[in-house]
Amino acid sequence: MPNVFAPQVFFIVFREVLEAVIIVSVLLSFLKQCLGQPDQDQKIYKRLVRQVWFGSLSGVFLCLVIGGIFIGVFYGVGKDIWSQSEDLWEGIFYLIATIIITVMGLALLRINKMKEKWRLKIAHALVDKAKHHNAKSWLGAWGKRNALFILPFITTMREGVEAVVFVGGVSLGLPATEFPLPVITGLLAGLFVGYLIYRGGNVLSIQLFLIASTSVLYLIAAGMFSKAVWSLQFHVFALRVGSDVAEEGNGPGSYDILESVWHVNCCNPETDNGWDVFNALLGWQNSATYGSVISYNIYWIAIMVAISCLLYEERTGSLPLKKQTLATLAKVPGLKRWAKKKQAISAEERAEIVRQGEAHLAGGAFLEAENSEEEDDRPAEK
Amino acid sequence: MALSLSFFPVLSMLLLALSRVAGAATVVYDFNITWVRANPDGLYERPTIGINGQWPLPVMTATINDTIVVNVDNQLGNQTTTIHFHGMFQNGTTDMDGPNQVTQCGIAPGSQFTYNFTVKQAGTYWYHSHYYGQYPDGLRAPFIISDPDYPYKGQFDEELVLSVSDWYHQEMRVLIPKFLSKANPTGAEPIPQAALFNDTQNLTVTVQPGKTYLIHLVNVGAFAGQYIWFEGHNMTIVEVDGVYTDEAEAEMIYISPAQRYSFMVTTKNETSTNYAFIGSMDTTLFDKIPNGLNWNVTGWLVYDSAKPLPTPALVDKFNDFDDFDLVPYDKKPLLPDPDQTITLDVMMGVLGDGKPYAFFQNISYVSQKVPTLYTVMSTGENATNPAVYGEFSNSFVLGHNQINEIVVNNHDSGKHPFHLHGHNFQVIARSEEQAGDFDPSNSSQTDYPAIPMRRDTITLNPNGNLVFRFASDNPGVWLFHCHIEWHMDQGLVATMVEAPLEIQKSLTIPQDHFDACRAANIPYAGNAAGNTIDVLDLAGANAPPGPLPAGFTTRGIVALVFSCISALLGLAVISWYGSVDMGAANKATEQQRIAEMNQPESHELVSPATTVVEAPEAETDTKTETEIEMER
Repeated sequence: MPNVFAPQVFFIVFREVLEAVIIVSVLLSFLKQCLGQPDQDQKIYKRLVRQVWFGSLSGVFLCLVIGGIFIGVFYGVGKDIWSQSEDLWEGIFYLIATIIITVMGLALLRINKMKEKWRLKIAHALVDKAKHHNAKSWLGAWGKRNALFILPFITTMREGVEAVVFVGGVSLGLPATEFPLPVITGLLAGLFVGYLIYRGGNVLSIQLFLIASTSVLYLIAAGMFSKAVWSLQFHVFALRVGSDVAEEGNGPGSYDILESVWHVNCCNPETDNGWDVFNALLGWQNSATYGSVISYNIYWIAIMVAISCLLYEERTGSLPLKKQTLATLAKVPGLKRWAKKKQAISAEERAEIVRQGEAHLAGGAFLEAENSEEEDDRPAEK
Repeated sequence: MALSLSFFPVLSMLLLALSRVAGAATVVYDFNITWVRANPDGLYERPTIGINGQWPLPVMTATINDTIVVNVDNQLGNQTTTIHFHGMFQNGTTDMDGPNQVTQCGIAPGSQFTYNFTVKQAGTYWYHSHYYGQYPDGLRAPFIISDPDYPYKGQFDEELVLSVSDWYHQEMRVLIPKFLSKANPTGAEPIPQAALFNDTQNLTVTVQPGKTYLIHLVNVGAFAGQYIWFEGHNMTIVEVDGVYTDEAEAEMIYISPAQRYSFMVTTKNETSTNYAFIGSMDTTLFDKIPNGLNWNVTGWLVYDSAKPLPTPALVDKFNDFDDFDLVPYDKKPLLPDPDQTITLDVMMGVLGDGKPYAFFQNISYVSQKVPTLYTVMSTGENATNPAVYGEFSNSFVLGHNQINEIVVNNHDSGKHPFHLHGHNFQVIARSEEQAGDFDPSNSSQTDYPAIPMRRDTITLNPNGNLVFRFASDNPGVWLFHCHIEWHMDQGLVATMVEAPLEIQKSLTIPQDHFDACRAANIPYAGNAAGNTIDVLDLAGANAPPGPLPAGFTTRGIVALVFSCISALLGLAVISWYGSVDMGAANKATEQQRIAEMNQPESHELVSPATTVVEAPEAETDTKTETEIEMER
């Protein structure tokens, strides 16, 4: 896929779009459940639904604009500074990209978790809004009435800006032609899968698809990590040799013999056809160093450890040693508040918050300005 | 720094006079070798290797048939040294030739060593250190041998000696490790910082109008060839490398390191201006040209010291004289067809330690444990077997009094000046650059001149070829090597062991030579590995590093397999993580179906999380938090 498709961009856009769609679908489900029952007022329901759509779409649109400006400026202005220390920049960019993808990638496999997280967040947001409407400013009043516009707007904006930043991060070394195709296909794929999840239909095959795509994503990320280390080592070597290193092509002298694990005079991803695909997907180099091989293996081991911890958390409720660590940290002055916040909200508390959110929605907290004062002090009512 | 040259013509006139009166004399030189600080280009003061407390070194002079005795006392304190008298045949005195670990052990600091040989040849020569790239640190100077029966005597009024060289600011012991390192895989040679005439710059030579001067020109540099021309004057070449030639007119000469030319310059009849003469380093071999480098050196023929010294004019193109066209004065005809032909292919490459090396075919020269000459003396009949000298001394055994032909093919893109010790040779073919290998079946290439030119150092063109012949009438151990010091250090050296059995019969090695070996703990008997008992057993002989591994070694295969396994394991864990949620997903779908069945009239879609009512029991998969939360 030379120069027209960057897989890492596709996956990031896909993931962010998926998350945005899930947010919107959770909001819509909330609405449906509380206000959209056939026995309730359809007019209000429809109005709020429109607000949600309007908010989320505006957020998306604004992100695209920001993203376009960002990428345009970046490519218009910034490209030339790298030519001299190309390998150093490449190494750093690959490292940033790997970190981003690693952190994001696993979330794709827990769509339910993602939905639940968003339910909680939105519920929190709803409760907060209801509590803080005491400000009698015009903005406060307007905000309260259009909370269901602002909420999706802000959340999609945030997801979108995240997407833009991440895409920028993983693709700083790529030519500009590699952007449009993966962005569009990522967008479409994210919309499609998000819609499927919303419909709740055939979750099994969706999950299989998500597993497959996450696997590919991590293969790419492992390759990128290895490439990052390789680029940094090559940069050091090239600094010592000077300009001659480019003359040597594939042959002797083009690599550091003391660091070399293998070197074949063919299959160079920079010059030979086809091998650049291998390089993009798997991090293949025709001249591997100790650094690149060891880092590749360490990355996979780290992923396996991380996933084991996550599975442990799911079985037992918290990460291994997390409770003890947080308990210790809570005793440290200054970190007490942060630690307390992090200590897991129990399941009951969580259910309580969701119930409050639903209550506010059902209780018409956002319907009319004049009703707001009365709804002030009925947080726990149902 | 300006220096007058009037000293030298006076000296040579005196010597000419003396030799006529005295006949064959013994000329004795006592050389105390010490470090001397000097700043020849005015840019950088540095330590140089001086003789008797002075640098530049004295010009050695002698008359043909003289015996030369050089008593060397190495007082450098931290470096070993040797002296080679470049161009001397050393007939019968191969042990006086000088290359380290070839015909002698090095002269260790604090040791003495005597060179004693007779000169049966006249012309322009030079002497220099032959120890591990040492001579560019300063141990080099011209050596002029005069001849009372010189064919051109009477055609010139005065003789002058002119040396030209490149000059480095750093010492060789700093430059060589930087050059021979894995950070220099292309083998880029260090760039000199200046060029010098007579080890100085802005040289002024006072000349009289209407006179003819015989100039002995020597390139004593380490690396750079030089283009030499005299503005307003032509040069008439009369000798190269000690071989008298027919007069040949030249506007410009290209002189490679170690080559010599003698030419006559006739001065103008008026003294209205002074004229510049220039040495311009051949920068095609330089890896890059650093900012601020002045690769030219200028001198002046001063007709009138009151007049200004003109700035030399820029020259667009170098059209130098092709030395192949020279005709030796003695008209010696082409030697007959050779009894032995040796083909050497010059190449440069990187070996297993990542450093750049130079090769003849696939052999990079490494000096052996026992100097090659001492191996000849101590291996009896086996001395005719080249194996006893070690594979990496690149030795060829030549028969006595036979005709030898050497073909050199250049597989490198640089020029190389090749020098053969102990002989001069007939250059019968020398191609232009990019001509490829010599093809003996191609009749246009084998159309040899009837009277070929002779010299002892010949320039091989990039990717071209060169053929020369000589008669092996001088038993001895003679090195054949590129005279660019950097390439010598990289191993572009071969050894010609000429008539070893004759050497054994006629040579007696003086005691102080063996003392030098003992002082440095170097064995002086046995084969290349020092084995005196079984000289065909070369175990332990010195060798260069092995070649770079090509392709996958064991280490590489293991690494690749491990990486594949860890990737597969990682993917398996990811799939496991993903499929754990499938249980919940499955369940959710089921619940939803059930819910829909129970409420057929409502087509609402709710998220599975809100409709799960029962706690899953005895499930093998993990409960998600959502399910726990919804159990209300």
